[in-house]
Amino acid sequence: MTREPSEVLFTNVRILDGSGQSAYPGSVRVRGPRILQITRSLGGVSAGDAMVIDGAGATLMPGMTEAHTHFSWNDAASLAAIQTMPLEEHVLWSAKVAHNYLKAGFTSCVGAACAKPRLDVVIRNAIESGQIPGPRYLAASQEITVPGGLGDEMLPHLPFPDFSFGVVVNGAEDLRRVTRMFLKYGVDAIKLNLSGDNFVPGADAKTTWMTDAEVAACAEEVRMRGKRIIVHARSCASVKQALRHGITMIYHASFTDSEALDMLEAAKDSVFVAPGIGIIYALLNEAEPWGVSREKAVSMGYEEEWAAACESLKAMHRRGVRVLPGGDYGFAFNPHLQNARDLELFVRYLGFTPMEAIRACTLYGGQVMQRPNDLGLVREGYLADLLLLDGDPLANLSILREPKRILAVMKDGVFAKTPPVDRARTWVSAA
Amino acid sequence: MADVLFTNVRIFDGGAEAPFMGEVLVQGHRITRVLPAQRGVRSAPTMGAQVIDGAGAFLMPGMIESHTHFSWNDQPSLDSIQRMPPEEHILWCAEVAKRYLDMGWTSCVGAATAKPRLDVVIRNAINDGTIIGPRYLAASQEITVPGGLGDTTAPHLPQPEFAFGAVVSGAEEMRRCVRMFCKFGVDTLKINLSGESITGMPSEMSQFTEEEIAVCVQEAKAWGKRVAAHARSTWSIKQCIKHGIEVIYHASFADEEALDLLEAHKFDHFVAPGLAWLINTCHNASAWGLTPEVTRKMGYHRELEAAIESMKAMRRRGIRILPGGDYGFAWTPHGTNAKDLEYFVKLIGMSPMEALLSATAWGGPMMKMGKEIGYIREGCLADILLIDGDPLSDITLLQERERILAVMKDGEFHRAPPGRSTRTTRWAV
Repeated sequence: MTREPSEVLFTNVRILDGSGQSAYPGSVRVRGPRILQITRSLGGVSAGDAMVIDGAGATLMPGMTEAHTHFSWNDAASLAAIQTMPLEEHVLWSAKVAHNYLKAGFTSCVGAACAKPRLDVVIRNAIESGQIPGPRYLAASQEITVPGGLGDEMLPHLPFPDFSFGVVVNGAEDLRRVTRMFLKYGVDAIKLNLSGDNFVPGADAKTTWMTDAEVAACAEEVRMRGKRIIVHARSCASVKQALRHGITMIYHASFTDSEALDMLEAAKDSVFVAPGIGIIYALLNEAEPWGVSREKAVSMGYEEEWAAACESLKAMHRRGVRVLPGGDYGFAFNPHLQNARDLELFVRYLGFTPMEAIRACTLYGGQVMQRPNDLGLVREGYLADLLLLDGDPLANLSILREPKRILAVMKDGVFAKTPPVDRARTWVSAA
Repeated sequence: MADVLFTNVRIFDGGAEAPFMGEVLVQGHRITRVLPAQRGVRSAPTMGAQVIDGAGAFLMPGMIESHTHFSWNDQPSLDSIQRMPPEEHILWCAEVAKRYLDMGWTSCVGAATAKPRLDVVIRNAINDGTIIGPRYLAASQEITVPGGLGDTTAPHLPQPEFAFGAVVSGAEEMRRCVRMFCKFGVDTLKINLSGESITGMPSEMSQFTEEEIAVCVQEAKAWGKRVAAHARSTWSIKQCIKHGIEVIYHASFADEEALDLLEAHKFDHFVAPGLAWLINTCHNASAWGLTPEVTRKMGYHRELEAAIESMKAMRRRGIRILPGGDYGFAWTPHGTNAKDLEYFVKLIGMSPMEALLSATAWGGPMMKMGKEIGYIREGCLADILLIDGDPLSDITLLQERERILAVMKDGEFHRAPPGRSTRTTRWAV
């Protein structure tokens, strides 16, 4: 093993600082977990005893943030298939996925729900203690739902909660009890499924399932402990319900009307929207091998939702609502590690410029990770979560999902993916 | 996978001969050439191979740990092992598995696990590449009787989840339990035939009826599985031979009759005494309240003496004694397992050569892999260690991580040898 020097100096890099400003040439010195110094020049910099990485013109940018992450989704084609993975295997799977996200350039992830009660918490703790490599992580609860809603996978003749992907509650006090249980386990966020989903027969995306009394009971508990509620809200009514209860992390938000958009705009300094449009795109266009033909996807309502989501999200973006990439990767038709494709979809379908797409996973990433003052930018004093890219992501966003183009990943000043070294010789001497 | 050629190494090949200078070529998963450096012998071709100049380092087969508990969590009691939640427990096991490989153990024989599926899941995850670890044979939980070693339930908390072992009573419960573990996919059924002084039932006492033991072995063999026994007492050792229980752990109190039986069946059984547990419980556990006075009262000092005498006698009679055992307690932490080899040399009269063989060539059959591992010979699997120094003159070298320069498993470096690098500048792109 090579011993890491205490400082790392990236020279000769194009710095894309993540704030939305243009890239500039310079060098970046990292000491410990933070960025110590940025020099805006290609002139010589004293290396001292730092490990020097000559970037040869590569792009240095902040590590990306995934705003809607499910480590425990296991690239299967159904919710039931995620649920039938035994606990022990599920933990190891989640650990492996966490490591892969980090190597793919996601240095922060917002957990959006896990498939068994403690998976997210255990993975977050193991990452923080250094036991396993992975991104910064905010741990979520399971999806909390009501009988018949998205996440209730119990069959009438097998009414056992362990079969269920989500936790099924009924009534405000039941929701309060479950919320307390997850807070006891140590989650950072409670996930509520407010709306249905076209994936679930009988509970489509335009339906809304929870009562205000239920949501209020959860919100009261969560606020008391200083945690966050995150919601699955595809329907227009569910988006408004979330905003009514002061919920700041809204997933999907496909269907909106002008009232919903006005409410979102009014709350734009506190609200984040992560639409997870990758999965709609995939179901509509790419899921044939898994039994979802274009025709079937249309009949499930995905064409209508896609059109509505594009309109809603374009409008939000115009009104200055923060729309973030990430979402629902971890299905067979929308597998893990393709997450950065969201940026391309944002540009192609939602009216983002490439720079705005990048900003949504850097500047906004630090904000959604609840560290707006020291995460998400290449700035002096910020945490050294950095990517070194072969190429210019503004010219071609797809390099962000090509492992070969991601030359190095650093988190907290430590390489999670070490830059390739030009080896002059293959002889290695031992002893 | 690139071919790897080790040159300029001192080769201990797993036979009982003195090491010799030479070269070892690894292609794919296997060792394909072993060439002694002699006048007139041509060097192996280096085209396309990564060449490792060993500069005289000692090259030996990867070691085999014969009594491994990945799920013991370096805690001072069975109860604190049991209280770890399953999610954390599986991550712990994965971490420990990697630590064993780091320390040169390229194969481990699971000797019991703390929750039903931990060992099986870890073995599968190693085999499919999800995690990094040694070759592994997965064990069941310890099967025991109410009140026996491994029954950690309390009278007011009788839930089986509190029990470290799987508690059964009666032949049919035993059968159900064995079948359940076979269904889960274990390689080995672990049965606790004797007591263990620290749990209140002295090591010289025995548990289980003959009928229960017979059912366990019968059912395990019907599924093609192996049985391994915790057998400290005289009676339990004899039961192992009588019922054909292949793996005998501990065997502390072997009397003349037991020794005769073992000698008569010496190719049917493996003995792994797990001396580290006895030695360190007697002498190095005061920080956890187990002072020598306490452990003497428990009977551990007497057992240690008996175990040393038994092992000396077995060694004289040519019975295979294997290293490993009960690492994973606070005073026998994981990773220090090579101390067993030192104990073999210092306490039971093995030569360093015999100790090395016990960790290499003798371990192949214990892993059910015959002579495929444990040797540096053409055709064997490439489980290889590169050691800085000569373990034959100082067996304790193998306890030091820095002296283990490289670890290769199945033809791939887990730890590549450190290069001698003169510059710190790295070039990206």
